[in-house]
Amino acid sequence: MNPYRNILYFILVFLLQLAITDYLYLSPWVTVCILPLLILLMPLSWSPHRVMIVAFALGLGLDVLSAGVVGLNAFAAVMAAAPRRMLYRVLVNSDRQDTTEVLILRQAGFEPYFKMLLALTALYLAAFILLDCVSLRPVGFILGKFLASTVVSTLLGLVLSLSVKNR
Amino acid sequence: MNNRSGLLPALTAIILFIVLESLSIVLVMESGVVQRFRIMGALRNTQAWVWTRTSNISHFFQYRTENERLAAENLMLQQQLAEARIALQSVDSCFSDADFSYIGAHVIKNTVNQQRNQLILDRGSRDGVEPGMGVVTPCGAVGIVSAVSPRYCYVISMLGTGQTVSAKLAGSGAFGPMSWPGTDPDQMLLQEIPVHIQAAPGDTVLTSGFSTIFPPDIPLGSVVESKVSKGSSQELTIRLFEEFRALHYVYIVKNNHRQELESLYESVP
Repeated sequence: MNPYRNILYFILVFLLQLAITDYLYLSPWVTVCILPLLILLMPLSWSPHRVMIVAFALGLGLDVLSAGVVGLNAFAAVMAAAPRRMLYRVLVNSDRQDTTEVLILRQAGFEPYFKMLLALTALYLAAFILLDCVSLRPVGFILGKFLASTVVSTLLGLVLSLSVKNR
Repeated sequence: MNNRSGLLPALTAIILFIVLESLSIVLVMESGVVQRFRIMGALRNTQAWVWTRTSNISHFFQYRTENERLAAENLMLQQQLAEARIALQSVDSCFSDADFSYIGAHVIKNTVNQQRNQLILDRGSRDGVEPGMGVVTPCGAVGIVSAVSPRYCYVISMLGTGQTVSAKLAGSGAFGPMSWPGTDPDQMLLQEIPVHIQAAPGDTVLTSGFSTIFPPDIPLGSVVESKVSKGSSQELTIRLFEEFRALHYVYIVKNNHRQELESLYESVP
């Protein structure tokens, strides 16, 4: 595992997320978000504190650098980061022994990886969309946006995950 | 020891989570007026939702108290109405025989699915209840007190075959005995109405007052249909105003001249 390539990958995904946030507009029903992928790809040896602080920094950085509301992505990122270890133990490795430093699609297998990515993306988007739309939009819209955004973001996250195997 | 060492990181993680999320929300609120109103609006909506629910729950538990308050108020109005009737009759004539007083009571037990139905009320001899008193509601006659204990009384329901109440048609004043045929608890039969009396569906039936048990002019029900019975009188089917299945609060009627009237009847050879 090359840490430099790992950092570079993080930066690239972050820049891609920045571009998506600022320039990609599919529909009012869809918010494309790949920041959960970065939360998933943080080393498993990291403590929840560290994961939350880094996720908060990533989200805040995205908020500050993009044209959005400051704090929205930070809030959502912490919401997804907080239960990451618990989700990993429940969905991927129940014996509580982290056998890999980073969860990679090729090593973990499609199903557990997909479950983790889906769970993190859903948590992230639930927090993001609720804070963004609360008291302004009808419940049907919020639910529809959440479902559509989760599907699109998870699929995009899976596609990007395929490139991780070459690290 | 292991529990302690595992608990501390978990606690600090929770605290860190709360701090970071709070900081994010503060940033969102500071980021723009719209977001601030969104969040405060959501908080107000949540508060309103909680208040509405808790208010509904507390209202539910206050229904009993509220019902008792309304029943007491109703009782007071009934007393005032009776006094007003007496006063009016005193003005019109020197004869006054309508002097009823009322005792409010809760229905402890009530049956409607038997041939001789009964009620048990939470008022007894120490409240002034005596056998032979009528039991009414503003929607009709309910029954007659049959037996009394110090705290309770046993009432024979009007929904009993053989029980009758003297009733009259509101328009014509024609009267006759009204009884329950033993089938539908919502309907009774008013008999012995002369055939020349016109009784249309919807006409109101009241207590006649021709007894010492029930006061006059209590609405009982409305005419559903009429048919000639035994060739010389009509038998009217009456739909009752009173819902016997939902009886909760009733009034025991005390005729203050009852002993005088009964002794008068007995003195007549």
